[in-house]
Amino acid sequence: MKRLCALFTLALSLLSPLAQAFSLDDLQRQLSAPAVVKGPFIQEKHLRALPQPLLSKGQFVLAREHGLLWLLQTPLRQDYRIDANGIARRDPSGWQRLPSASAGAEQNRLFFAVLQGDSAGLKRDFELSLSGDATHWQLQLTPRSLLLKQIFTRIDISGGQFVEQIQLSETQGDSTLLRMTDSHGAAALSDTERSDFVD
Amino acid sequence: MSIERWLPRGFLALLLVMLAIAGWQWQRGAPLSADLMALVPGATEDALVKRAELRVQEPLNREVLVLVGHAERPQALALAEQLAGQWQASGLFEHVQWSLQTDLGAVREQLLAGRVAMLSAADRTQLRERPAAFIEQRMQSLFDPFAGFSLVPAQDDWLGLTGRIQNSQPKPVNIELDTASGALIAQADGRQWVLLRARTLGTAFDMKLPLLVAELLADARRQAEPQGAQLLAASGLLYAAAGQQQASREITWVGGGATLSILLLLLLAFRRWRALLAFVPVLTGMLFGSVVCVALFGHMHVMTLVLGSSLIGVAVDYPLHYLSKSWSLKPWRSWPAVRLTLPGLSLSLATSCIGYLALAFTPFPALTQIAAFSAAGLIGAYLCAVCLLPALLGQVELKPAQWPLRIAQALTNWRERLLRRVPSAVLLVLVLLFCAAGLWQLDTRNDIRQWVASPPQLQEQAQAVARITGYQPTSQFYLVRGADPEQLFQRLQALSAKLDELRDLGKLKGYLSLSQIVASPEQQAQTRQALAHLSDYWQPLVELGVPQAGLQTQLQQLQTLPPLSVEEALAGPLAEAWRPLWLGQDATGVAAIVSLQGLSDASLLRLQTDGLDGVQLVDRLGELNQLFAATQISAAELKLLSCALILVLLAAPFGLRGSLRIVALPLLAALCSLASLGWLGQPLTLFSLFGLLLVTAISVDYAILMHERIGGAAVSLLGTLLAALTTWLSFGLLALSQTPAVSNFGMAVSLGLIFSFLLAPWAAARETPAVQP
Repeated sequence: MKRLCALFTLALSLLSPLAQAFSLDDLQRQLSAPAVVKGPFIQEKHLRALPQPLLSKGQFVLAREHGLLWLLQTPLRQDYRIDANGIARRDPSGWQRLPSASAGAEQNRLFFAVLQGDSAGLKRDFELSLSGDATHWQLQLTPRSLLLKQIFTRIDISGGQFVEQIQLSETQGDSTLLRMTDSHGAAALSDTERSDFVD
Repeated sequence: MSIERWLPRGFLALLLVMLAIAGWQWQRGAPLSADLMALVPGATEDALVKRAELRVQEPLNREVLVLVGHAERPQALALAEQLAGQWQASGLFEHVQWSLQTDLGAVREQLLAGRVAMLSAADRTQLRERPAAFIEQRMQSLFDPFAGFSLVPAQDDWLGLTGRIQNSQPKPVNIELDTASGALIAQADGRQWVLLRARTLGTAFDMKLPLLVAELLADARRQAEPQGAQLLAASGLLYAAAGQQQASREITWVGGGATLSILLLLLLAFRRWRALLAFVPVLTGMLFGSVVCVALFGHMHVMTLVLGSSLIGVAVDYPLHYLSKSWSLKPWRSWPAVRLTLPGLSLSLATSCIGYLALAFTPFPALTQIAAFSAAGLIGAYLCAVCLLPALLGQVELKPAQWPLRIAQALTNWRERLLRRVPSAVLLVLVLLFCAAGLWQLDTRNDIRQWVASPPQLQEQAQAVARITGYQPTSQFYLVRGADPEQLFQRLQALSAKLDELRDLGKLKGYLSLSQIVASPEQQAQTRQALAHLSDYWQPLVELGVPQAGLQTQLQQLQTLPPLSVEEALAGPLAEAWRPLWLGQDATGVAAIVSLQGLSDASLLRLQTDGLDGVQLVDRLGELNQLFAATQISAAELKLLSCALILVLLAAPFGLRGSLRIVALPLLAALCSLASLGWLGQPLTLFSLFGLLLVTAISVDYAILMHERIGGAAVSLLGTLLAALTTWLSFGLLALSQTPAVSNFGMAVSLGLIFSFLLAPWAAARETPAVQP
């Protein structure tokens, strides 16, 4: 599920220009303009077996220079941090780096491809199609590789000035919807956020 | 006269038979082998250990690991794909893999079926001892966007067991999956390295295959380099190819060099083209040697061929024995000369064969083969020299050049002058002092690595591959046995605990054990039991919205999930890496291999795991090195034994006194050679000792020649000089070999020959000419 967050930043690093009024280049410029984007998120996990989605809420801070803070607040509290060094989870004694060689390694790679602006990697993984305009755009990612196709069918991202919604549809029928409808840009990190990134 | 007519025909018939056998032996391709392990003793009688060794070595002899490196990933991938296509088309490989086309459906199925059986030891413990924490972790993972992603949907596995199994699998550290292409990629040295694995149809012991693979690789390099790419490869096949190329190079040098120089020597000394016919016994010897060798062993090792090619110099001694009589026998006629030298020739054959056959009683197949090859070769050469060659030389009257005789005469005179000033006894004391001081400096060294010349560029590449991929297989492994799977797994677990300690100390990079992929039957039962109590703790999950009914149903499923046997667990796609570890059931129980990675100190292994029941460290190389040292002692005993045998043999014609003298000289020559090795700073290896063993046998020959003194001291010395020179020409060239073992052997024999020649004149009593037996 880290792909959700990966996709967040995916939008920051989009890709070669397409002959469109509103191009992937334009989108990348628009999304990477603010140094910091933050706001609340709501994650809905739609599982086939459940009538109600599993809901979780929290705050995120995406800093162009540092990475991503993902602060889950309900139904349980848990802080995550993703940066160039990998993924860390906070426990009472501080940030604990998660082993990068876990089964999710392939997903991490995808994530880092996105975070590090490895556009070549992303384009090999996905077919990208963008529609709409600067205030109202939709981006659809269709997995290219056999391996990814066995995991999910498509990813839809939409937004205006910022990314507002990411929906991930899994091949098995489950889907995850991530809503960030109240994001705002900032020129710099707050002190707490900065120390969260630096520690 | 009639026997002189009959002999050549009889021998020609035998020669034809041998040629026919050789033709039959070679018709299905050269019966050559390059398998290093075929040269060393089968240290173990234990069938299971043997099977395990084969299992461990198999990939080394069949797999080629190539890293295709380029600064840009797409280029590296494109090149790897292209190479894989070409290699697959070559028909040499069973499969060439650069991209994992994993069937995730099969992985899901295996995970679901193995929910109880494949749970890791740590997860099992948590489930049993801290079920509340187990549930808490599951809650976190349900909401954790970064937990890695589960192949099995949550509704099929509310407890998150499959995710835990996925995450607990040991993974190669430096390798990642390129999701787009399915390629495995490592990043190092500013390059992206795509991993390409190829598995050949044949093995490295197939004579042609290694060269073909090496050629394919060289082709691939030629394609890759202009594109700015680099290829690194590691495979036992490449070592085999290098070994074969080197062997054929050396056979050419040693064989060609010895042949040319011996032919030249024959021409210069005897000034007759016909004298070159003396080389016919040599060729016959080679034929006999190879036919007998293949007949006895089914194949001939390339090392036998390299060492055997030095036989040229010994085989040519037989014709030389009677050819050199042309300096004293005037007019020289072939049959009379043969009759005159026949007793000496026969004795010489007997002593040489004793010397070579003594090698056969060492526990080394390599030496047994060389001994058989050489003994058969010598008999062939002797028969040819005695039966056929005199007929070929029937009409020739040899009028040899006088200069060799002048040299021999000068040497003899010089020796006489020396002995007038310094008596033999004083010389002996001086020689013994030289020996004592030399022996003092001698050190022994034995290592299986001396048997192969590993080209440095291959070693560097293998090291680079190990560094970049983090994949560093070691030759040591554990064999673990148990009466039943339950006991086996208990022992595997005990071993794992010990190995984990080493890993934490950084002495071991990692290991593969069956206990990582599946739990024992009893452990599976315990897990099932612990799961049954989980309903007391899962309330928090239910509060999050996980349906209690779903949890309950799955718990029941887990309870009824059939226990997974090792075979069933290994059948799934996740267990591919573990599959070779399982040795299965035999009459005594079950057994498994535990393979090791990145070992820094082999002696620690033994310390760490000594005393574990049913756990055996198989360290073939270490054992071999120990065996080498032990064999040195038995080789020295063999040497003495062969000397005793020769002593008895010679006592009949020469009397005990003469016999003692003839045997003592070669022993002294061997001692001097040992001392020289010490003075030269060369180590004494098992092979140099074998060389000396051999030299004793050859130098008895010189002593006999000098003792008999047919035609006077100078003529005998000349005969000895020619014989020693031809032998030295072929063994001396061996000393240039790049294989340390072969080079040591050549060095020891060369030194031994020099001393044998120098000491040989003392075989005769000084004033009294020896009586012809």
